[in-house]
Amino acid sequence: MTCDEFERVLPELGSGHSIEQEEHLKSCSACSDLVADLNAISQQARTLRGSEEPSPWVWNSIEVALRQEGLIRQPHPEHPLLHPPRLSWKLRWLVPAAAACLVVFGVLLHQRGIGPHVAIQQSPPAGVETADLQPNRAEVMAGDDLQLLNTVASRMPSMRAAYEANLRAVNAYIRDAEQSANSDPNDEVAQQYLRNAYEQKAMVYEMALDRSLP
Amino acid sequence: MHRKQRVATLAVVMILVVAVFGAAETTRKEMHFKVGRRASISIINQYGPVSVKPGPGKRVMVTAILYSGKVEIDQSKRGNRVSIVSHLLDGADASTGRVDYEVLVPADASVTLHSTTGPLHVEKLHGDVVLEGSTAMVDVRDMSDAHVHVKTLNGSVSLTNVSDGYVEITSVSGDVALNAVNATSVHVNSSSGKIHYDGDFGDEGQYSLTSHSGDIEAIAPSYASIEVVARSVQGRVENDFPLEPEHTSFVTRAGSAFAGTVGKAASSVRLLSFSGKIHLKKREQ
Repeated sequence: MTCDEFERVLPELGSGHSIEQEEHLKSCSACSDLVADLNAISQQARTLRGSEEPSPWVWNSIEVALRQEGLIRQPHPEHPLLHPPRLSWKLRWLVPAAAACLVVFGVLLHQRGIGPHVAIQQSPPAGVETADLQPNRAEVMAGDDLQLLNTVASRMPSMRAAYEANLRAVNAYIRDAEQSANSDPNDEVAQQYLRNAYEQKAMVYEMALDRSLP
Repeated sequence: MHRKQRVATLAVVMILVVAVFGAAETTRKEMHFKVGRRASISIINQYGPVSVKPGPGKRVMVTAILYSGKVEIDQSKRGNRVSIVSHLLDGADASTGRVDYEVLVPADASVTLHSTTGPLHVEKLHGDVVLEGSTAMVDVRDMSDAHVHVKTLNGSVSLTNVSDGYVEITSVSGDVALNAVNATSVHVNSSSGKIHYDGDFGDEGQYSLTSHSGDIEAIAPSYASIEVVARSVQGRVENDFPLEPEHTSFVTRAGSAFAGTVGKAASSVRLLSFSGKIHLKKREQ
């Protein structure tokens, strides 16, 4: 077995190794060091406090966003994104990266004017009756906001009103910025309004889910 | 008369008893950590003020006052990193979970403070400073060569005498006041909070003050050296400076947008609001 072959099967390795893999580990110090390091990381990860695990809301929001962008289609009966431990440790870093990509992707879609909301505005083919199966962006955001407020209320009831007022302010900013950017997509200032508005919304969400809350 | 005296004496005694019992509820705790150069100090405190100042030597000295037994302090030091967390126990609220911190750190330390209610105060440091508070009032002063990052929901933000660093402030509805802030980059992003700048914009800096509905007021001396653009989609825009026109794609419109240069245009200034008023004021001598 070569190092390349070993690394290919590495993500699927559990606690036990096949004879062939064992032999390779004995003969290859680089791979055995790698496995030792990964095991150490894995053990350290288990000792992390439960509170540092992202809330289920985070996984849920990522799934909603992925579905909205059409990157996943069928709702999974077991709601796989609600079970992050199933991801192998090698793939866990993908979760925050995916969340960051989604934010950037959303802003880019707005900037280019090809977001899902544009598709909704397209007329259906003649003779075909359509129902608005895909909830529009504003509704999804309102649902997410409500979920966020419930999360805040459950952890710190006195802060709910403050978060609600600030979410309203930020949503108003986003609405105005979107309108401005859509009316003149080449206006660099309008794009900055939009970026700033989304930055504010991201901050509100980040603060609400921050571990500084009890 | 005697009766009045007795009542007064009794009242004083009662006040003293209440004060003694009240004082007994608070606990003072001191923690000391030896650190190296450019140490990192993080404090998470849901309820109560945190004040950070430079101290002597390479030591972090933390004085904490706990207001009840419903909060305890978790502390750790790993390498050059010190972490302090106010750990709320069941039933803790804003008064029983309150902890007041006074912290002395090496001036080159990086400091991260998180608090819901604050207030947060940092002064005379030149490391990275990250301050986050929901409703916390944030006050930063006398900083040099520092990166200052502030995030609040509706807590007001005040920066005074900050030079040669990077400043980034995001606040949804808190007012932001910058006095004598001359940095390489100053970025303020507000939604409904007002933004007030009073300084000379230094030289070779990039200043971006942006709001949705909050008013923006920038006051600068007549000798300021700036290239400025300002625009409000729905608000009124005013300018006291005689601007030299320049070739730019920025569309100017009387009363709602202007652009131009003052002096040698050393620093770049962008004042942008959606519906707030913008006023670039010349400081009266």
